[in-house]
Amino acid sequence: MEKKTIVLSVIIVAVLVVGGIAAALLLSNKSERRAVYFVNVVPSNMEAWLAVNESDAYITWEPFASSATVSGDGRILMWTSEIMPHHPCCVVVVSKQFLSSDLGPELTKRFVKAHIEATEWMLNALSDHQSANYTLLVNMAADFTDRSAAVVSEAMGHVEFGYEMNASFKSALEEFTNMYINDGWITNETFHNRGYTDVPQFVDEYVNESYVEAAGTVDPRSTMFDVPIRLAYLKGDLHQMAQAVARNATAFGGQSIFEKYGLDVTPSLESGYAAGGDVMNAIGLDEADFGYLGAPPSILKHINNNVETVIVAQANSEGSAIVVGVNSDIHSLEDLIGRTIATPSVTSIQHLLLKVALERLGIELVKA
Amino acid sequence: MGQTTAFGEMFRKYIADHFRRILLGALALAIFIAVWYFASWRLTESNGVLASYFPYPHQVARAFLASFTSPIPGPEAYMLNLAAASLERVLIGFGIALAISVPFGMLMGAFRTFEDLGKPIVEVFRPIPPIAWAGTFMFAFKAFWGPIAIVFVGAFFPILINVIFGVRSVDPVLMDAAKTLGASRKHVFTKVIVPSTLPYMMTGIKVGLGVAWMCIVAAEMLPIRGGGGLGYAIWTISDIGRYDYVYSVMIMIAILSILTAGVAGQIEQRLYKWMGMK
Repeated sequence: MEKKTIVLSVIIVAVLVVGGIAAALLLSNKSERRAVYFVNVVPSNMEAWLAVNESDAYITWEPFASSATVSGDGRILMWTSEIMPHHPCCVVVVSKQFLSSDLGPELTKRFVKAHIEATEWMLNALSDHQSANYTLLVNMAADFTDRSAAVVSEAMGHVEFGYEMNASFKSALEEFTNMYINDGWITNETFHNRGYTDVPQFVDEYVNESYVEAAGTVDPRSTMFDVPIRLAYLKGDLHQMAQAVARNATAFGGQSIFEKYGLDVTPSLESGYAAGGDVMNAIGLDEADFGYLGAPPSILKHINNNVETVIVAQANSEGSAIVVGVNSDIHSLEDLIGRTIATPSVTSIQHLLLKVALERLGIELVKA
Repeated sequence: MGQTTAFGEMFRKYIADHFRRILLGALALAIFIAVWYFASWRLTESNGVLASYFPYPHQVARAFLASFTSPIPGPEAYMLNLAAASLERVLIGFGIALAISVPFGMLMGAFRTFEDLGKPIVEVFRPIPPIAWAGTFMFAFKAFWGPIAIVFVGAFFPILINVIFGVRSVDPVLMDAAKTLGASRKHVFTKVIVPSTLPYMMTGIKVGLGVAWMCIVAAEMLPIRGGGGLGYAIWTISDIGRYDYVYSVMIMIAILSILTAGVAGQIEQRLYKWMGMK
């Protein structure tokens, strides 16, 4: 046989064999696995994907869950609070580089104070739906999320806004970190190279409650600090409403809550970032000093990519849901087997909680 | 046994014939890896964010090997599954592009009417980057066929343009000679035009294949269904920050790209021989 013919035959056979085995693996996986299939979709597009049957369900943060129920197109299958009650969701992180600057600790204390004040203002407004502040909050939220007042008022009822970081918060962060280590997303080698000996020690170091504790000692300031603060947050994420409230100057007599405490806060990206990983990247690239994002991507990027940050406050807990079509025959997680569900990204808390819920039932979550 | 001996002989002859080239290639590779080690070491020493984006070569090699025996973190799929998904899309998209662009190119190259009809459309759409169609295609063709459509656009124009150019480059003297010798239109087409066009077509195919791989990786970074694919893997693994696996997937793309280009090259050689051109 000629040389070229042999080479050609070998290459073609190799391609066919490899392709065939892989295709067979794929097909066998599809038919035999007790699995739910996921696809990553930007939350603002999830409702459209559901409408055109590109996905059978989606899991997302508010207001994109309530958006479907208010429009009448979707139905809530399960709230994430049913998977893990009071689970942590979004947090406030600060860059260690910023913290190590001369004014870093003082400005961070003031930032956290403004975050707390904005959160308490929201909680107060939410306690009385007839109040002027409630209407103001709904309008602000509608503006920030680009959703109707009806959607955001429904959505805000499902989010636990808060800032304190208690023992259960830290315990949940330990659980998330352990999951990532067990799944090989974080290697022990990397974990130890970052200087952490075990997960509780990591969480103790990564979560710094001292700024929340010190916030009570912070007073308003008549002059602004001459240090611009760059803030990164997620696009239209209602969970991060506190920063939108704290930045709003028109609603509070021409001075924002951040300005009240002498802070010149500007968004590093006005439209907001698509995912928590992008927020951490912005901090890692020194494009942002503070970030609002989900706790899981914060942990992953901090350990895997050495993005030096510290969690200084919580932004919210709960407030995410699995949504199915209003006429869907899916009524339980078991019904999702063999179906496709859209998740924001593999590093999102929503993806993680979905995985937790399915694993409890012995169901895998795999790529569609 | 005989086959093994033939392979051994072929291998020895290949080494002997290409010793200098192999030596220089190995040297270049060694220098590249040494530079990579140095860069990773410097970045690790600086303890900065960039260090995690440039893992050591041995870490990438370890991840590459592990990806065949255990699921890749993030996509939670084996390398072979991901490669098969991408390969499937590339082959389908490229195959459709080839099947359409070659006859179109022949017609546009050979007949002025077809050229006048087709040229304005080709010139309008050719400069548009294939990935610019992503939004439209994902909506129109949905998550499985959308990326394939992007590959189709990416591969279509390089092949088409080369085929048109090839047909136009046929030596008129050859055509006249064939006609003078009594060749029918069919014979002029099969015995003169097609063989003369073949080298150009093969150039288009090779360029088209390269573009197809670029397109599929970009397209798979969009939300897609159907096995994920290597582009999806890169996107997802980047998200969790495991760059040792990101580079592993890149290596796989390079291997597949070289493999498909190699197959195209072999087919080219066989065609030349079959058509009596070599």
